Amino acid sequence: MDNRADYLKAERSAEWREALRKTMKNKERTAQLRVHMPEAPAQERARSYVEVNSGLTAPIAMKEASRCIDCPDPTCISGCPVNINIPKFVKNIERGEFLEAARTLKETNALPAVCGRVCPQEKQCEANCFYTIKLNAEPVAIGYLERFAADYEQNSGAISIPEVAPANGMKIAVVGSGPAGLAFAGDMAKLGYEVHILEALHEIGGVLKYGIPEFRLPNKMVDVEIESLRKMGVQFETNFIVGKTATIDDLREEGFKGFFVSSGAGLPRFMNIPGENLVGILSSNEYLTRVNLMGASRQGMDTPVMRGKRVAVIGGGNTAMDSVRTALRLGAEKATIIYRRSLEEMPARVEEVKHAQEEGVEFLTLNNPIEYLGDDKGKVKQIRLQKMELGEPDASGRRSPQPVEGSEYLIDADTVVVSVGVSPNPLIPQSLPDLKVSRWGTIEVDPETLQSSIPDIFAGGDIVRGGATVILAMGDGRKAAAGMHQHLQNAR
Amino acid sequence: MANLSTTYLGLELKNPFIVGSSGLTATYEGIARLAKNGAAAVVLKSIFEEEIQMEFREALKNQLGPQDNNLDFLDYLDYQIKADVLSKTTELIRRVKADFDLKVIASIHCRSVGEWFAYAAKLQEAGADALELNIYRLPSSLEVSAAEIAEGNERIVEKVMKHVRIPVSVKMSAYTTDVAYTAQRYAQLGVKGLVLFNRFYQPDIDLENNRVVGGQVYSNPNDYTWPLRWVSILSPKVALDLAASNGVHTADTALKMLVAGAAAIQVVSSVYKNGPDYLLDLQHGLDRWMDKKGLQDMAALRAYGRAMMPENPELFERVQFMKYFGEV
Repeated sequence: MDNRADYLKAERSAEWREALRKTMKNKERTAQLRVHMPEAPAQERARSYVEVNSGLTAPIAMKEASRCIDCPDPTCISGCPVNINIPKFVKNIERGEFLEAARTLKETNALPAVCGRVCPQEKQCEANCFYTIKLNAEPVAIGYLERFAADYEQNSGAISIPEVAPANGMKIAVVGSGPAGLAFAGDMAKLGYEVHILEALHEIGGVLKYGIPEFRLPNKMVDVEIESLRKMGVQFETNFIVGKTATIDDLREEGFKGFFVSSGAGLPRFMNIPGENLVGILSSNEYLTRVNLMGASRQGMDTPVMRGKRVAVIGGGNTAMDSVRTALRLGAEKATIIYRRSLEEMPARVEEVKHAQEEGVEFLTLNNPIEYLGDDKGKVKQIRLQKMELGEPDASGRRSPQPVEGSEYLIDADTVVVSVGVSPNPLIPQSLPDLKVSRWGTIEVDPETLQSSIPDIFAGGDIVRGGATVILAMGDGRKAAAGMHQHLQNAR
Repeated sequence: MANLSTTYLGLELKNPFIVGSSGLTATYEGIARLAKNGAAAVVLKSIFEEEIQMEFREALKNQLGPQDNNLDFLDYLDYQIKADVLSKTTELIRRVKADFDLKVIASIHCRSVGEWFAYAAKLQEAGADALELNIYRLPSSLEVSAAEIAEGNERIVEKVMKHVRIPVSVKMSAYTTDVAYTAQRYAQLGVKGLVLFNRFYQPDIDLENNRVVGGQVYSNPNDYTWPLRWVSILSPKVALDLAASNGVHTADTALKMLVAGAAAIQVVSSVYKNGPDYLLDLQHGLDRWMDKKGLQDMAALRAYGRAMMPENPELFERVQFMKYFGEV
C-alpha cells in the first residue's frame, strides 16, 4: 500500500503535472459546471440500436478534465476496484495527451472502453471524488473521460498493446471469457504465461456480449479490447464447455498448470409463482441473449424472439432496464417495468432509469406479480399484480416491500421478461465434487488470493460473488492473476 | 385388539395419532423414527414466511458488497430462499411418501395472501396428502380490527382452496374471538378440518441476565382442557374433522378428545419429552381402554361418546364458576 501511495505521489510530482496545476486556480476549476453527456434523441433511439450516449468531443473532455484539481490525496482511486491512476489519466486529457491517458488506463484496466460505458461510477470513483465529498457538488465526470480516452485510442488506430514478459513455458486455462476472465488473461499474459480462454458460447465476451445491449455497449468496442489481448498472445477457443467438452482433469493431462474459473452467473432465477410456465414468459437472460448474441432482432434469423406488443419486465436492476428498453426496440407498444419497491430503491443505475423513462418506459413501482393468467392456447395474457407498501428499512438501508392486502388487480401483457436475478453457473461445481461451494452455488475462495479449495483452481467474478459489476469482476481477475502467479512461482 | 383406524380430512389413518408440525417432522431421519413407532401421519415442519424474511435480511447484511455493487443479485434473493426451502420440502415429501406407510400433511405458516397460495400447489404436486394452514398473526396493530383480521384470513383460505385439490385444514388460535363462527366460515369455504389449537412461541424476560428469552416450549399436561371444550362444542355443530392439539400427553387425554368427537390427535411435546416410541404407549393405552369398554373400533368409540355427551351439552359452554367452587 505504501508503495502504491509513494508511486502516486511521485507521479503527481512529475514536472508536467506540477506545471498543469499552475495553469488554473482551484477556484476557477471548481467554479466550472460538470459536462452533460450528449445523447441520441430519446424518440429516435428508442426504436433503433444506435448507442444512446454519443461520447464527449475533445474540447469538452479537456474542459471537464480541467475541473479535476489533482488532489494530493486522490480519494477517487479508493473507489475504483482496479485502482486506476485516475488523476494521471484525467490530467493527460486536460493537456491533450489522449493516447497517454489511454495508456494510463490500461496499466490496470484491460477494458477501459467497456468500463467507461457500464461502470456505476456514481457509486465508485465519482462517489469518492473531492467534489462529492467536500464540496457537495457534482463530481468530475471520470466515467465519461475514461470512455473518451479509450474511444480516442480505438479510433486513432494507434492502439497500445501492453508489454508482455518472455514466455515462461507455463500453460493456463481460463474458463469463461467475461470481464473477470479477460482481465485475468491480460495480467497473466503480461507475466509471460501461455493463456487459453475457453468459452462455452460461440462468441468471446461473456456477459459483455450476451447481456449488455448494443445501444449501451456496442459489441465492436468489446471486440477491439479482445483483439488487444489476442495481440498479447492470449488464445481463444469458443464452443468449449469445461466440464463437458473436456474436464479439468483432461486439461491437466494436456499440461495446463492452473485454472481460473470465471464462468459467471448465467442461470436465470424465477419467482415460482403460478402461471410462470406459460408461453410468452421468459428470463431476461434468454431474452437478451437472443437479441444481443443470436441476432433475433433481425428478420429471418433461425433464433427469433417474442416481439410482444405489451411487454412487462419484472425487476429493477440494470438487466431489467436493458430488457425493457430492448422490448421497445423490438416494437413493443407498451413496455413496463414492474418493481416491488419504489424508484428510489432500484438497484439499476440512475442513468439507465433516466434513459428508460425518456424513451417512454412505464414504471409500475410498488407492484409485484403474484400470478400469470393464460389464454386457451397456454399463452400469457394477463398478470395479477399486488400493490406493495414500504415497511422498515432492511440491511441494505432500503425500506422493504410489504403486500397491501386486498389490492390485487389484473393488467394485460403478451410477453413477460423475468429479471429477478441470476444464480451461478453450476457446470464447473457439478463436474468437480471436491470444489467447495456455498449454499447458493458460488465457489468459495480465499479472499486474498481467490484460490479455491482445489489448489490449482482459482475463481472470480459472478461465480464467486453471485453478482457483481463488470469492474469488480475485473478486479477479481487481476487479484486472481497475482494469486495464481505467486502460487505457481512457489511451486517451482 | 381394537381397530384404531380412523378418517381425518378424508384420509385413512391407521390410528388417530398424528405428529404435529415441529422439529420432529423436519427431517427424513426424524420422520423415519416416527414411522417406525406407528405414527399414522406427520405434519411437516412449517414453511415459515417470517423465517424466510429473516434469512433474507441476514443475507443482505452479510453479502452486500461495497457500494451495493451486487444489489442486483440480492434484490430478489428472498425468492431464491423460498425456492430453496420449497424444493427441500418437496423433496422430503417425495422421499417420505416413497419409503414410509404414513400420511404426509404439509404445513404453511403465512400471514398474508402474497404469493403464498402458490406454495400450496407445489406441495400438492410433490405428493402431500393434505395441507395444514397456520395463518395466525399476533394482532398487535393499533389499526387493524378483528373483522379485518378475520377477512384477511378468509382470503388466504379462499386463495389456497382455489389452487389445490388435496384436503385443507386450518390450525386455529385459541384466542380467536369467534371460534364457532370462524369454524363454520372455513367449512363453507371448503376446509375439511380444524386443528384445535395452535401453540405459540412465548417470549419471557430473564431478570438475572436482563434479556428477553424464549419461554416454556412444551405444552403442559393440563393444557388439554381448552381444546377439549372446543372439540366438544364444535364436533356436533360443524361438518369438519377436528384434530385435538395442545396438552395431549397421555392416552387418557387422547381418549377424552376422541370421546368428545375429535377425529385425530396431534402430539408433539409428549413425543419430544418421551421419545418417538411413546407413540406406541399412546396406541396401547387407547387399545387397552377400548378393549375394557368393549369398543371394537373408532366408530364404536364415537358412538359411545355421542351417547354420553348429549346429556349435558351446555356443560362445555359454561364459562363462569357456579356458587360453589368446583360445582358444575
